[in-house]
Amino acid sequence: MKARIRITAAVLLAAAALSQPALAQSGPIKIGVVTPLSGTYTPIGQQVRWGLELAAKEINAAGGIAGRQVNLLFEDEEANPAVAVQKAEKLFQVEKVDFLAGTVNSGSTLAVAQLAERNDKLAATTVSFADSITADKCSPNMFRVNARAEQQSVALAAWLEKEKPKSKVFYLGPDYEMGRSTVAAFKANAEKTGAQSTGEVFAPLDAKDYTQYFGQIRASRPQVVYTSVAGNDTVRLLTQLQDFGLLSNLTVVGASGTVTSQNIGAIGAAAEGFATGVGYSTQIDTPANKKFVETFRAATKADPDLYGADSYGLLFAYKAAVEKAGSTETAKVREALRGLSWQTPQGEKTIRAGDHQAMQPMYVVRVNKGKFDIIANVPADQAIGPDTCTRF
Amino acid sequence: MRDRLTTSMRASHVLALIFVVAALCLAAFGAATGDTFYLRLGTEALIFAGLALSVDLLLGYSGALSLGQALYFGIGAYVSALTLMKVPSFWLAMGAAFLVTLAAAIIGGLIANRVRGVYFALITFGLAQVFAKVVYNTRELGASDGMIGVPVIQIGLGPFSVSAASPAGFFLVVLGIIMGLYALTAYLLDTPFGRVLTALKANEKRVPFLGYSVWRARMAAYVFAGLVAGLSGALYPMLRGFVSPELMFFATSGNAVISVILGGVGTLIGAIYGSVLLVILKSIIGSWTEHHLIVIGLLFMACVMFLPKGMVGFVRPRIERLLGREPAAPEPAPPSSATIKSGSAA
Repeated sequence: MKARIRITAAVLLAAAALSQPALAQSGPIKIGVVTPLSGTYTPIGQQVRWGLELAAKEINAAGGIAGRQVNLLFEDEEANPAVAVQKAEKLFQVEKVDFLAGTVNSGSTLAVAQLAERNDKLAATTVSFADSITADKCSPNMFRVNARAEQQSVALAAWLEKEKPKSKVFYLGPDYEMGRSTVAAFKANAEKTGAQSTGEVFAPLDAKDYTQYFGQIRASRPQVVYTSVAGNDTVRLLTQLQDFGLLSNLTVVGASGTVTSQNIGAIGAAAEGFATGVGYSTQIDTPANKKFVETFRAATKADPDLYGADSYGLLFAYKAAVEKAGSTETAKVREALRGLSWQTPQGEKTIRAGDHQAMQPMYVVRVNKGKFDIIANVPADQAIGPDTCTRF
Repeated sequence: MRDRLTTSMRASHVLALIFVVAALCLAAFGAATGDTFYLRLGTEALIFAGLALSVDLLLGYSGALSLGQALYFGIGAYVSALTLMKVPSFWLAMGAAFLVTLAAAIIGGLIANRVRGVYFALITFGLAQVFAKVVYNTRELGASDGMIGVPVIQIGLGPFSVSAASPAGFFLVVLGIIMGLYALTAYLLDTPFGRVLTALKANEKRVPFLGYSVWRARMAAYVFAGLVAGLSGALYPMLRGFVSPELMFFATSGNAVISVILGGVGTLIGAIYGSVLLVILKSIIGSWTEHHLIVIGLLFMACVMFLPKGMVGFVRPRIERLLGREPAAPEPAPPSSATIKSGSAA
């Protein structure tokens, strides 16, 4: 009896070994996730992880992707491109994943895109917002399902045009590369919609005293101040503006990282009326989003943010693409993803074929009694900006 | 009579030989099984071993702790990447990296060698951080995103040509370069100049009384260490196809210092063993738990407490004893080192 079992087992093993290539198309679909699980960006990586895990659980419960279960494999990105590339190569080469997601640092996303090209695999980011990823440094193997920096400023400028047409705008940014490029991007979009620029200053990062710029702001008599400072800098800037009485009759708008749940408490009343463009808010009033927020809270005891929602949505895009392509082969899935429209908690997203950037409705939120309220929607096609990718 | 320093260096060479043989076995095994990831991970470990070697040259010999050696590693990497994107030539990239690192190390050395001890550590740390921030904010150098698009190159070695994309081929090229740098460093430390460096670490105040310039020796060691780091860094974009400012951040310098301490300060080969061990540990533990930093930290503490001279520092005395038994026979020592010995032993 024992011998027979052993023989049967041997035969089964041999059969399994022989049918290996066939199994590759019928075993679980492996999706690699390289995202920060340690260090400063852990909270972002945590949201990415929660979003993807929730989506995988729902997809697996409903029968998987084309009948195959989804298997997520996590690696720590450490928000360092040198680490991300090494981990991504491990997932591609050793684990033979079918798809890769999760990179946060824009440099990591760009480097992983190049690695994906050299390994003939597909990857997607749900967090990185540097425009270059789907513009001048676009890659045929990289997709982005979250809103890029450009979409945030286009949406905000579109709202500003309606709210305060032809207004005079003053710009105040932190003095480093990212600060300068966000100001330049918003300025270009605001001027396109008829706003008048009255001046710009760049304050050093971690500046203690912003009052030295107030003379310049007051002299130019703006109706709107745009700022892309972040963290504790925002706390000081806004409270000092309030102390000097400059906030009356002034609309303050900014980048999506300027006022966040982390610093809104410290800013207090000075944050009232601050407006920004975002790709997601838990307040989006659709049944799909309500259900998503509810299940997300039940699973994680935390609210989903932008990163969680975008990561959740990604797996459904991949599912739709694989089912449309009828395979997980790179070329076929890439074709299926191009131009794909699918439903997410944020509304319908469409991947633009020309640069692999997802188009999605954008929201303008404003602080009202210490909380962000959605005050306007900007349709996907108005917030996307031109396709500048020339590689494919 | 052979002096103690030469004997310990010989013991290091034995360990280096074991390392090379093990690496060649790995390359052969990897090539036979068609592996890509592990060979490329090994190549990366070797590249970072070059950086650790340069830290050990400073820390283990002249006694100066550099917390910013990634500065030269990063400069080498950026110069190599910029050159390769214009002209995809291996030798041109290495030459350009050599020249720019040389200039940078002379400037850095002039600044850092004005002070010593903990101030030297702080100055080198500061220099690297300042430079990394400048690169981080310079759009022409890709700013925070770094630069991608470094082409896969063909490395011409006389009649042969190796592709940087071939895992085993490029592994062997990097192995050759790093072990070449090791041999060069070891040779240099066996010359009178090397003995001055050792004297500096032992008692800096007495060195001028023997007629040597402290500043000149420290400066030469610093520039040479910068070059070793720069040439290792120049290999990085060939392997990974990109550079990013994170290569110059403290994490990179700090990992090099950890590698040296794990492997054994002042052993040279220990830096290489330590670096390979650290890269492999990080890769394995990182896949296993997100608390890999805690595990690495505990290992590091255990090493400092129980193996204060590092792995090689633990093993080497045994090899020295084995080697010490041999030369009872009439001494047919290599002539090059014999002359030096008579000079320094006098």
